[in-house]
Amino acid sequence: MRKVSKALLVVLVMALCLGASAWSQTKTIAYVGFATSNTFWNHLGAMAKAEAAAVGVKFLDLTPPEPSPEEQKKAVENAILQHVDGIIIGAADNRAFGESLKKAKAAKIPVVAVDTGIDDPQVFSLVQTDNLKSARIAGKYIVAHMTKPGKILILGGTLGHQTGDARRDGVAQMAMDAGVTVIYRACDWDETKAYETCQNELAANPDITAIFGAWDPAAMAARAVVKEKGLMGKVVICGFDGNPANLKAIKAGEINATVKQDNDKMGKDAIDITLKIIKGQKVEKFYPIDGFIIDASNVDQYLN
Amino acid sequence: MAGFVSSSTFKQMRRGLQALLGLVLINAVFFALAPSYRHLANFMTILSNATVLGCLAAGSTIVIISGGLDLSIGSIIALVSVVVGYLLMIKVPVLLAVLAGLGIGALVGLLSGFIIVSTGIPSFIGTLGMMMAVRGVAEIIGAGKDMSAFPKSFAAIGMGYVEPVLIMAAAFALVALFLSKTRLGFNAFAIGGNAEVARLSGISVKKNQVLYYLLGGLLAGLAAVIETSRLDFAQSSRGSGQELNSIAAVIIGGTTMAGGMGGVGRTIIGVLIMTCLSAGLSHLGVGSSWQRIAIGIVIILAVWIDTFQRDRATKA
Repeated sequence: MRKVSKALLVVLVMALCLGASAWSQTKTIAYVGFATSNTFWNHLGAMAKAEAAAVGVKFLDLTPPEPSPEEQKKAVENAILQHVDGIIIGAADNRAFGESLKKAKAAKIPVVAVDTGIDDPQVFSLVQTDNLKSARIAGKYIVAHMTKPGKILILGGTLGHQTGDARRDGVAQMAMDAGVTVIYRACDWDETKAYETCQNELAANPDITAIFGAWDPAAMAARAVVKEKGLMGKVVICGFDGNPANLKAIKAGEINATVKQDNDKMGKDAIDITLKIIKGQKVEKFYPIDGFIIDASNVDQYLN
Repeated sequence: MAGFVSSSTFKQMRRGLQALLGLVLINAVFFALAPSYRHLANFMTILSNATVLGCLAAGSTIVIISGGLDLSIGSIIALVSVVVGYLLMIKVPVLLAVLAGLGIGALVGLLSGFIIVSTGIPSFIGTLGMMMAVRGVAEIIGAGKDMSAFPKSFAAIGMGYVEPVLIMAAAFALVALFLSKTRLGFNAFAIGGNAEVARLSGISVKKNQVLYYLLGGLLAGLAAVIETSRLDFAQSSRGSGQELNSIAAVIIGGTTMAGGMGGVGRTIIGVLIMTCLSAGLSHLGVGSSWQRIAIGIVIILAVWIDTFQRDRATKA
């Protein structure tokens, strides 16, 4: 008997909570970012939070501490149970959410993906760095600054990984347009492999005058090799991401540039787009966001 | 007994010679086909590239000879990298940070060894668990921190072609001395050959095993220090897959996976075979995927030759 009354009480409280949230005018957007352990995502989350405050939306941050599709899926379901008005997901694995998204659909909660696309009708929109276009910006920069004739060494991610391949293609296109030979090597997002590859390729091809790292640690590895070989200043090094370590190296004049993903804009736009959907306005399926070059000329404003 | 020892010594020498022959052969091919491979600078590059794997594999040699296996060394690289990176960022003196890094490597090795001998679970499983757990710890320590631009005196450890190669040479020399001249080293062969016989002959097997894992961890820590110094930044994703490269180098060199037989001298050859292969294939303009295929084939060949000869030895 006591158990039943307790259960009833719980149901009553839950119903009250649900009712209250349904009635309230303030909209709530849940944000399930990639991981709180990641600086890039921390900044994106902070920007989203600031934008939410600016437009008067309640911001519920459910980002797990480590990148884990499992934890993210739980967070999304948690958000659905809390009857939020919209969910933003920065997926660690875009295939993890099928079931949860069905629940979101049943609860009529729209979802917006940021950075990584999720192929599901409940995901209304995707806010993503245009890797190909951003890499073209990098390619253009490299070609303009390198000694010619020369070759570009591309230290790539994992072969077949969409992001890494797009970054390779962007730089390779600009190089080919300029008639510069490209050497591409997959390094599995592993800076150790990038270091060794760089050592070997520079020994085998002394005419390499530019190195593009498809992710910033690869550019750091290239910097170590170029330094060891006494080629500092003769080889252009450009990374991708805008990591603090690379910014410091740019400041020190040891790396030429990096392409920064505009996570300010990604976080801000994710909130604005989600809010538009909640208000019933029409949105695009895809919002590509351009990266931009950080080099010696503007590095100071990004070094805190 | 004397006869047993001398015949096995002979066989061991033969296995070492085979690996050396492989190394010479590979180099001959690259010498013939790739003009840029012939430069002195290229050999400096190869030696320098070999240092991290070399230190790692020197440790794996001890563990594998004693009949064990340590899969956690790649994660030790990550952990030591972020710990040393963190200490240097909070301005701890370089020497202290390096010693702390080596100590942590040894400590993780000690823990792995302790878990294995006290629970009796296979080393493969025990260190697989440690591999995941240690990586997790490294991720927590490294989370969201920028660890880069270390003091110049730290950079001197791994940068360039002289210091890291000398460190690797010293590591190999010490491990060689340990295995051939000390009782503890000799015990590694006895335990790897037959742990039960070793125990009956009065060797405290468990204590020794823990020590071998500790040494493996220490050398992994050394590899991590060199690499962190060289790249001038620390990151918790580092070293993944390195445990397998290390085991591959030991096996290619001719130390048997089953334990009891091998040596660190042939591990040098194994390490050089792997490094020369990837360097030489780069000089031939061969892409990364083909480099992997080549190294895969060499591993299979090396183990196949080993198995084939042991089969023949038992039949004879």
